Order: sequence, then structure tokens, then C-alpha cells
Amino acid sequence: MFEQWSNDEDMSHGFLVPIVILWVVWRERQRWRALEAEPNWWGFALLAAAAGMQFASVIGVGLFAGSVAFLVSVAGAVLCLGGVAWLRALAFPLALGVFMLPKLAVVYNQATLPLQLLASRIAAGILTAAGIGVIREGNILDVGGHRIAVVEACDGIRYLLSLGFMAVVFAYLSDSKPWMRWALLAAAVPIAILANAVRVAAAGWLPPLEAGVPHAVCGCLIFVLCLAALMLLRRLFNKVYVRYQS
Amino acid sequence: MHKLIALLSWAALSVGLNAQITLGTTVGTFGVLAGSTVTSTGNTLVSGNLGVSPGTAITGITGIAPGGPGIVSGTIHSADAFAATAQSELTAAYNAVAAVPSTATWTTDLGGHTFYVGGVYTAPSTSLGLTGTVTLDCTTNPNGQIIFQIGSTLTTASNSSVNLVNCLPANVFWLVGTSATIGTTSSFYGNILAQDAITLTTGASLHGRALARTAAVTLDTNAITIPATLGGTGGGPPVPGGPGLPAGAAPSSLILVAIALVCAGIYGTRKRLPKLMGRN
Repeated sequence: MFEQWSNDEDMSHGFLVPIVILWVVWRERQRWRALEAEPNWWGFALLAAAAGMQFASVIGVGLFAGSVAFLVSVAGAVLCLGGVAWLRALAFPLALGVFMLPKLAVVYNQATLPLQLLASRIAAGILTAAGIGVIREGNILDVGGHRIAVVEACDGIRYLLSLGFMAVVFAYLSDSKPWMRWALLAAAVPIAILANAVRVAAAGWLPPLEAGVPHAVCGCLIFVLCLAALMLLRRLFNKVYVRYQS
Repeated sequence: MHKLIALLSWAALSVGLNAQITLGTTVGTFGVLAGSTVTSTGNTLVSGNLGVSPGTAITGITGIAPGGPGIVSGTIHSADAFAATAQSELTAAYNAVAAVPSTATWTTDLGGHTFYVGGVYTAPSTSLGLTGTVTLDCTTNPNGQIIFQIGSTLTTASNSSVNLVNCLPANVFWLVGTSATIGTTSSFYGNILAQDAITLTTGASLHGRALARTAAVTLDTNAITIPATLGGTGGGPPVPGGPGLPAGAAPSSLILVAIALVCAGIYGTRKRLPKLMGRN
């Protein structure tokens, strides 16, 4: 996983995920320390399953299976030592570990092209709505003779993974309702896709934003706006929830 | 005498290493070129031109009867003079690639192996397969070429991929003696120059060109993107009607999440900030 985080810029946030997990565990320390440890033999079943997955990974199934095996083995160790109550108490930080996993090649390969085309379509729509002439040919945008290709790296997966992770962390920090984590995670998907299209549209409209420092700053600013959108959505969801309850 | 042999060997090696294949300016504009037919199923996307010659049939592509859903960003050429020129340039390129002296023989699956720039890898009369990922490394010469001369078929398994390290897709050549089949959802790079047919199965993507001399090119929900420069010089002229510059990727997810965590930290401590900054 370490190698994957080092080599794949879509996955480099993996370095921060364990830090966040440890911080959440520390933050919840009073809760799980109060629980009595009741070692559970089923933990060995999880450890055995993890060993099987690791073996399958080594003989050729791939890195993803080995990475899942790591998470399953951690869950198995918690179950072995602390029991079901501990596993329940630590379920959220363990679930955050999903964001450390490498991209599943089957899903990634299937999703890349549709996401590229979707980003191209939305970016062309944004430019047209802004009164800027654009011709779209598949994944290629021609803005007044300035042609840019929405290649695989522009498919938005990076925003999607980063924002998905932050949506869950933000929901955990700001709201006690477990469903809010799922709601914000679901909301992160269209926000990330739209944000990526805005980024592509900006690069098409203003060529200096295509590369270098302006491009990086633009990408970061749009991501901060995504976080702001998540905060607004949380408030909206809460308002709807309160109204529904009353 | 030994010095003379060494000198001749070095000269021969140099010729082999420096051989630069150049696609013609016409065939270089094609993402897909077939000899008999082009058949597409599903939402195929081809950047650049698509053509067939001497055959005429093109099906499953928007802009030519019987129609889409496939999309071509360039022009469709069915048995016209432009496609005929492209085919003759393809023949020239095919023969030029076939004539490049081999630097190594390779007969086993390409998956899990790394091949280096300047290499001309030959599978004389055997089929070659790819299962998993093959890495092509051009670190020592990013403008250099890598050539595979395959006597029979090239077949890639589902989800297989070509991993380029500092290589330009335009500078990777796959010479296929009979037919090439790119497996489901595979990600493939380079110019495929096939004597017979080329088949891209469901969801496969090709960053390069599918150029078949005598038989069909069969597509199924594929993305074919021609490289921004022509092969040969590694810095050749832009392809007319080509895909243009790729839009840059977003900053790395490490930077994005780090910024977001800082924002979350500020948000979490916003009530204590005045106190932390020495204000009451």
C-alpha cells in the first residue's frame, strides 16, 4: 500500500488516513477504555480469512486483496483481544481504513472513460452557459481553437476519493448522527464530479490555468469550495431532518 | 582484428538502437484504420480519423450509414484517396518496423516484466500474450522508441495494462504478424500495426493507433486516443485535428486532503482561535 500511495497521486492521501484513524481512536479513548475486554474466538476466523486473502494476493490475485487482508486482520485482532464491544466501538476508525485501499482495477477501468466523458460534457455545458463558445468532440474540448483533452488523469477520481474521505471525517467531527456520514459521502460524489468539470472548464477557458502553479492553486481552491458545499449540505440535511421530525 | 570486430559490433548496435520509425503524416492522423471493415458496438470514442481501405464498410459509427452510437472526433474515410494513402504509408511503416534489427528474443507472457527504451523485442513465429501489467521504461531516453515484433498474434487478457515510464505512446510500436486482440477493459498504449485484424474487446482503451493492413478492426465500447505527436522523432509535429494538450490533473490527493484537514482543524477550533491568538 505504501508503494501505491507513493506512486499514484490519486492515492497519496493514503499516508494521512492512518494518522486520522489513530487520532479518531485517541479521541474515542474514553469510550473504548470503559468497555470490558471480552476476547472472542471468532477473531481467529477473521485472522484466518485475512491470511487466506493475503495468500491469494501473493499468488496473483493482486494488491487489492492483500490490502483488504490487512484491514480484516486488524479487525480480527481487535475481536480476538477486546471482543464484539470493542470492535463495535472501533468500527468507525476501522471503516476509515477503506480509504487506504488501492483502487480496484476492475472498477477503475470501467469508471474512467464514462467519468472522462461526463467531465467533458459538464465542462462544455458550463462554458456554454457562461456564454463561451465550445465544441466538444468526445473527450476533447475546443474553446476558440484552444484544444484540451480530458484524459484519464482528469477523470475526477482524485477529487472523488479525497472528498469522499473528507466528507466522512467532516460528518464525524460535526455531527453525531451516523446517517449523516452516509449522506455526506453520497453527496460528495456529485460535488466531486461537478468540481472536476469546473476545473476542466476553467483550464479550457483560461489556458494559463492549464499547468504549473496557477493550475495547482485553482485545483486546491475548487476543492476548498467543495468542502464549503459539504458544510452547507450538512446544514440543509439537518434542517430537513428537524422539519421531518417535528 | 578484435578492435575491428568491436567497432563493427558497436556500429551495428548503434544502427539498431538509433533506428527511428516514423509513421507517415497521413496515417498518423488515424486512430483507427482497417483494410476490410470497421465494426463498432456501443459507445466507442475515437480521437483522430477513422478509415478503411480498400474495403468500404464502416458500421456503428455516427456520421456514416447505418450510424452510431460510436463517435469519431476527426473525419471518417471510407475507401477514399486519403485512406488509400494512409494504407500505403502503413505498409511502408510496417515494413520499416519489421526491418529493424532485433535486440532480444521474447516468447513468454509480457506481464510482470519491464522492457527498456531502444529495445527491439522479437517473438519470431510465436504468439505473444499479456496478462497483468507490462512496464515500458524510457527513463534513459524519453524520446526513444520501443518496438515489439510479433510473428503471430498479440493477445492481452482482461484488465491487463501497459505501464509507461517516461515513454511517449507515439514511440511504442507493436508489429503483429497476424491479428491483435486487446482484452476486456485493458488499458493499452502504442501503435498497433497488424498484418490482419485488430479487435478491441469490451471497454478496452488504446492510447495509440489501431492500424490493420488487410482485415477488419472490431471495436466494442472503446476509447482510442491518438498520441499528440507522431512517432519517430519523439517530438514530431502535432497531429492535425489531434486531441490537443491534455488538461492537467488535479493536485495530488495528499495535498487536497492535507488542505482539507487544516480547514477542518481551523473549523474545529474556531471558537478558541481568538484566545490562542492572545485576544480576550
